[in-house]
Amino acid sequence: MAFNYDEYLRLEKMPTLWCWGCGDGIVLKAFVRAVDKLQIPKDDICVVSGIGCSGRFSSYVDFNTIHTTHGRTPAYATGVKLANPDKTVVCVTGDGDALAIGGNHTIHAARRNIDITFIVIQNFIYGLTNSQTSPTTPQGMWTVTQKIGNIDPAFDACRLVEAAGASFVAREAVTKPKKLEKVIVEALKHKGFAYVDALTNCHINLGRKNKMVSAMETLDWIDSITLTKPKYDALSEEEKKKYLPTGILKQDTEAEEYCELYQRIIDAHQGKRAKITREEFDQKITI
Amino acid sequence: MAGGDKVVINERGNREIVMIGNHLAAQAAVDCGCKFFGGYPITPSSEVMEYISDALPAVGGTCIQMEDEIAGVAVATGAAMSGVRAMTATSGPGISLKAENLGLAQMAEVPLVVVNVMRGGPSTGLPTRVAQGDINQAKNPSHGDYKSIALCAGTLAECYTETVRAFNLADRFMQPVFVLLDATLGLMHAKAEIPSLEEVQKNIVPRKKFEGDPKDYKPYGVAQDEPAVLNPMFQGYRYHFTGLHHDANGFPTEEIETCRKLIDRLFRKVEEHKDEIESNEEFMIDDADILLIGYGSASLSIKEAVMRLREQGIKAGMFRPITIWPSPEDRMYELGQKFDKVMVVELNQGQYLEEVQRSMGRRDIEKLTKTNGRPFSPQDIIDKVKEVF
Amino acid sequence: MAVMTAPENTPVWVNTDRCKACDICVDACPAGVLSMRPDPHSTLGANIEIVYAEACIGCNECELSCPDFAIYVAEKKEYKFAKLTDSAKARQEAIEKNGYRLPEDWKEA
Repeated sequence: MAFNYDEYLRLEKMPTLWCWGCGDGIVLKAFVRAVDKLQIPKDDICVVSGIGCSGRFSSYVDFNTIHTTHGRTPAYATGVKLANPDKTVVCVTGDGDALAIGGNHTIHAARRNIDITFIVIQNFIYGLTNSQTSPTTPQGMWTVTQKIGNIDPAFDACRLVEAAGASFVAREAVTKPKKLEKVIVEALKHKGFAYVDALTNCHINLGRKNKMVSAMETLDWIDSITLTKPKYDALSEEEKKKYLPTGILKQDTEAEEYCELYQRIIDAHQGKRAKITREEFDQKITI
Repeated sequence: MAGGDKVVINERGNREIVMIGNHLAAQAAVDCGCKFFGGYPITPSSEVMEYISDALPAVGGTCIQMEDEIAGVAVATGAAMSGVRAMTATSGPGISLKAENLGLAQMAEVPLVVVNVMRGGPSTGLPTRVAQGDINQAKNPSHGDYKSIALCAGTLAECYTETVRAFNLADRFMQPVFVLLDATLGLMHAKAEIPSLEEVQKNIVPRKKFEGDPKDYKPYGVAQDEPAVLNPMFQGYRYHFTGLHHDANGFPTEEIETCRKLIDRLFRKVEEHKDEIESNEEFMIDDADILLIGYGSASLSIKEAVMRLREQGIKAGMFRPITIWPSPEDRMYELGQKFDKVMVVELNQGQYLEEVQRSMGRRDIEKLTKTNGRPFSPQDIIDKVKEVF
Repeated sequence: MAVMTAPENTPVWVNTDRCKACDICVDACPAGVLSMRPDPHSTLGANIEIVYAEACIGCNECELSCPDFAIYVAEKKEYKFAKLTDSAKARQEAIEKNGYRLPEDWKEA
């Protein structure tokens, strides 16, 4: 026996419409293996995706799946999760989806620390629409809308969501599929907003015009800009600018999760729990 | 009631309560089984969320204030996709922002109640003033082809009863249903007579559910005049929602005939069951010479004007569509045949007038319109009737 | 449907129907087990082939890196995998250098 991926896939949808060598498939595989490792029943998972190449992810997995509008994935997922707090809700989005058009929803889902596993397939470019600049496109790279070289600074999404309040933040590249699977397992296990930055190759729409013609060349480039967190932490501030740290970057198991907080509101309204008094509240205010 | 408002049961077994329209809409949602509200503050609809933020958790439901209008509709749609009754409330600018996601709910056939408390527009317009300028918006808020359902409350009590009806219609036709209030009705604080809770709950019609073998389940594989049958999530019927054109199983497709049939069905499921949706009020039209057509809060002034005109010997009557979309086009055609003198009275530049002209097949219809944020007084209408007829 | 049960005495096997010829698995292999072969029916003119199955060390990298669920490796308890040898490494290098194809004139050292 080998691992039975087919149990989790919608076989009639195969092959995927992703290009040859696209790392989206590697993330899909790592995710399926992670779900299997945790033995989460297929009926208990909802996968929500947005628009872009990553948007098709949801149609390939045999769970409850939603393909939403561009960038709104976290909001739809929040609705599913709050209405079904005991189920596993996973967002699979892309860098343009989650960080540009949907940036507001992403930071607010992180701020609430709602129990959603949030996987961003981060390929540094708008792949589906053919090479437009994304919020994570490195400065200087060719894009179809910035042909001389991208002048827009990229941001580090992991630091963004961490600042916003995500209690679990990790990054891993598809060049390390075993590690990627591991961080997805940890993210799924984590109670709270779990962000996974899955660095992926788009050799077709990023690589070809940036001297990385094949999947391997783009993957090699990703390896060249990533360092494990301990190695990254040891670098000088100047050196850090050249790298993205990988591994689990934050894991706070004490942070209050949103659905649990909301349950307190329900309990208070139903008289199962005393309403908080003004005096108690004065002590509780956190800025 | 959540706000601690006093309820009196009258001799008809109905509830009498003094409340604002926005609160009545919120209470209606809770009474008929809504378990989820997502929204964003906006004048003049914020009181819906304020009220329901207490009322929903009291029944084990959830109310969440989201980061923007778009998220407000998306979170409610997500909850509805998972199987619960859900609602959002906003005003015109909010609908503008929600438009794309309302399109997804139309396309994926997700039942959702959307309360729009209309204010002056376009743009920021007159936030605290009344208007009925979102009639066309309610017909087609999003791009693409689909058939909207929009109900327009004309009395305080209807803020409650039309919201209840909207939930039942949303589950029957599996799509968003608009409840149009306006700044006058939404914030009007007066007595309303509404049905008893038992009566409301007795008439709840939940969405259809497929009970057979999951292998045989085709959520979108239904008769050409019927809505999708979307089971709640997490119960063994795993399927796919998408805003793309999709096949019987919900998966994206570009197959020519499947695409044609899908959009055709989105129309026919509404058009061929209009009798289940249509609702009108006809006020003193049997012996009337003059027909006034109006809806929403404007109809309150029209009614008063009809009474006063009759005192002066002018036989006027009122036709009030409660279901704005799909429009009662057949009934309006009949009335167009019967009445020479017809006038549409609305708080916009004549949005529904065009629908009346189309339905009646006539262009000689008078209009009284107003877009300065102020309501009609009955005298406005009386003066206009005397002027033109 | 993919073949889930390991064909007897086989460490690694492929579903050529799913292969998009991206070369990633060949690149990922440390032991010169895999190679692309010409295939006129494939979009990219190639398809995956197992050329030295007996050299497979069971590291699973090819399977985990394949984006298209086209390649499978037996479980460690089911098959006694080889150790990574110098000649396997040399073959792998030759395959990578030759555009992910085993050189036609390849001779084992």
